[in-house]
Amino acid sequence: MILEARAVSFRYPEADLDAVYAVSLGLESGEIVAVVGPNGSGKTTLLRLLLGVLCPRAGEVLVEGRSVARWSPRDLARVVGVVAQREDQLFPLKVEEAVLFGRYPHLEALGLVRAPDRAAVQRALERCDVAGLTGRRIATLSGGEWQRVRVARALAQEPRVLVLDEATANLDVRHEMEVFELTADLVRHDGIGAIIVTHQVNLAARFADRMLLLHEGATRGLGTPAEVLRPEILEEVFAWPIAMADWRGIPQFVPLRRLPEHEPQRSGACRDPEAGGTA
Amino acid sequence: MLRRLLYAAVAAGVLLGCDAGQGGVRSGASDTAAVGPPAHRVVSLSPSLTELIFTVGGGSRLVGRTRWDTDPPEARAVPSVGDGLEPNLELILARTPDLVVFYDTPANAAAIARLRAAGIATLSLRMDRLEDVPVAARLLGDALGVRPTADSVAEAFETVLQRRRRAVNGPGPGVLILTWDSPPIVIGGGSFLTELVALAGGHNVFADLTQPSAPVSLEAIAERNPDVVLLAGGQAPGFVDRPEWQAVPAVRARRFARVEGSAFSWPSPRSLAAVDRLAAAIAEAGR
Amino acid sequence: MRRWLLLGVGAACALALGVLLGPTALDPATIARALAGGGDPATVTIVRDLRLPRALLAFLVGGSLGVTGAALQALVRNPLADPYLLGLSGGAGLGAVLAVALRVAAPWAVPLAALAGALAAVVLVYRVALIAGGVLDARILLLGGVVVGAFAASLMGAVMAVSPAPEVRNALLWLLGSFGRASWHAVALFAAYAVVPLLVLYRLARPLDLLTLGEESAQFLGADVERVKRTLYVAASLLTAVAVSLSGIIGFVGLVVPHAARLAWGRLHRALLPAAFLLGGILMVVADALARTAFAPLELPVGVVTALIGVPVFVLLVRRWAR
Repeated sequence: MILEARAVSFRYPEADLDAVYAVSLGLESGEIVAVVGPNGSGKTTLLRLLLGVLCPRAGEVLVEGRSVARWSPRDLARVVGVVAQREDQLFPLKVEEAVLFGRYPHLEALGLVRAPDRAAVQRALERCDVAGLTGRRIATLSGGEWQRVRVARALAQEPRVLVLDEATANLDVRHEMEVFELTADLVRHDGIGAIIVTHQVNLAARFADRMLLLHEGATRGLGTPAEVLRPEILEEVFAWPIAMADWRGIPQFVPLRRLPEHEPQRSGACRDPEAGGTA
Repeated sequence: MLRRLLYAAVAAGVLLGCDAGQGGVRSGASDTAAVGPPAHRVVSLSPSLTELIFTVGGGSRLVGRTRWDTDPPEARAVPSVGDGLEPNLELILARTPDLVVFYDTPANAAAIARLRAAGIATLSLRMDRLEDVPVAARLLGDALGVRPTADSVAEAFETVLQRRRRAVNGPGPGVLILTWDSPPIVIGGGSFLTELVALAGGHNVFADLTQPSAPVSLEAIAERNPDVVLLAGGQAPGFVDRPEWQAVPAVRARRFARVEGSAFSWPSPRSLAAVDRLAAAIAEAGR
Repeated sequence: MRRWLLLGVGAACALALGVLLGPTALDPATIARALAGGGDPATVTIVRDLRLPRALLAFLVGGSLGVTGAALQALVRNPLADPYLLGLSGGAGLGAVLAVALRVAAPWAVPLAALAGALAAVVLVYRVALIAGGVLDARILLLGGVVVGAFAASLMGAVMAVSPAPEVRNALLWLLGSFGRASWHAVALFAAYAVVPLLVLYRLARPLDLLTLGEESAQFLGADVERVKRTLYVAASLLTAVAVSLSGIIGFVGLVVPHAARLAWGRLHRALLPAAFLLGGILMVVADALARTAFAPLELPVGVVTALIGVPVFVLLVRRWAR
């Protein structure tokens, strides 16, 4: 197991409740794990715990079997590549310069860039299908292109784990699908593991091997999408009436509209109260 | 940053001598003092003018002085009204003066305007050089109605000055008149000290500068190679040991002359009398 | 490569200018002879003991301010950062004014007091910026620097207003910045002292690149962010404190040189820091040479000249390279 959280709990200073309570999660190479849940459920906190940014008050986080606290940021960056939602762009860089940043954890003491580094950058650029953008300044890229470049940067770190932290939140359908597909491709063919934190529960269900559903800091489901996405649990967690649908064997959920004269339906079948059926 | 820039530029301007002496006494543009009746309650906002007022016999009419005016000793009996630059108008008005004598500088323009508006006559004078003394004396004599005494003081001054000038032979040792060390600020030709040094038998190596004082580079001092360094006013003690100052031979050889006393702070009849003291100090240092 | 050559040649020219120009007009042949020790002893003294150390000190100080400015701009992620925002200029001024007001007699009293004041201010700002958990918050650092600097400056103003001695008011002139205090002692002192902080800053070049992405992103790319911030702050403060204590406050260089260097020599700090050093050195030497010659024998405060040269050059650069 490359990345593992064992019953971690964390409470922010001055808070009354734990932000994350006794959550366990394991990631093997070659698999995608999606972390979903409503706002405030602890997804970001869990991620920070996994990456060693925060220190749990109980439980432990292990990276390649060793406690994350014992990893230096540099060594950790050689194993875990993170693509965040947004990032400062203080100075305008070219695409290849931006991707080269991903090699920094690998540069030795004098900081010289060597041939293997350049090769890794080139591979990452091609893999993420942004090799055609070299020479362009990142300020001129579209949102989707910039995001793919950031995935390339994470890939240039040659990590064993890719972490996407709501990385598609601002992208349109096409670009979002591209990022998800790219991630899936990398996991299948390059054998890395991926953790995707996202609001897109349905997409996550279609791409992930396993899912973790969080609610108020606690685990409400951990397993395959079919095991986790149960209507009654989803309704409780997301506090909204839903109906379940099925897309090629993968459960998808549909949030229902609230109509005053109808009670929300509670079933797995796709009966549509908006079509005017009786309660 | 812009503010800092502006500040530095203004300071540079001041340092370079935007108050460069044009020589001679200046009276404020529309002084009423020169033509009005003699004043009986006078406030003086400049130590040099306070002393001169006493010298010309107007001391009994002085009702206010700055806190720096301690010469002559009689001046201490006169109440203080605070600072001479950016004066305290409240304290001045409390003395109910009919004439206020200012040190002539643009900084006092606002105060002058306020006093004029209150119906009080003002006179702005400034003595940078020795020949300014008799002129100022006569002006004060008019303003205070003590013209006869003032005239005799002025004439005596002029006589002594001429005599001393004739007594000088040859340029004598080169003297650097230093008032500050970092940056080096020297006295220039626009100040009475230059002439005083000349009367004492030496010559100011920076007499070519028209300003009363100015910051110069250490290299210029080294090049002009004064024989004696006259320390006028305070400077950070200990600068004589600083390595860069050793480039000036007079500093390296410790040829310093020091003079104390307000006779060397502003021109006055006492300054003339102090020439001998100065000459002795310079000669002593040159040995 | 060509750009670096340009900088190198520029540096050599600037240093030459610093030795050739001065309030005393000396022709190059005389100067060359004086450098070798021949000719009139007064000229030898002027060239070897006054001009040469002064040019060198100006170069070193200017270079250090350039590097510090660039590093600080990356640390606080703000292109308007300037070494004097650390609050130490106020502290240095207060130290100097107190040394003069208390009439401390030693020859190095004023620079040492300025150094002590600067370091005290730096420590104060550091403590203010250390929020819970030992994390150095860059925004509070900026604010703290401005506040501490202003506080020290107002104390300085109070001392100057209250103290009767005119020399205390003259202490203010010292602050305006000047290389008149340069000597071989000062050069040796500064060179020996500055080597370590400069090397430390250069080693931080890659982490500084990462910092521009934001602290969290930098950490995910392998930078030990807290350690980098602390090290950078200490190195930058030490360098600037010594520069201020030897030459007063010379603004503008630390602010603008990094931008000019960035525009023409690159944004990545491995190139930027050396470029900022050379460019800062060149600017300072030229400015100092002009300060002593423009109105000879009078001397302008060098900070005024750096601004007068720097602003048009900067505007030109921005126009040429802006996209």
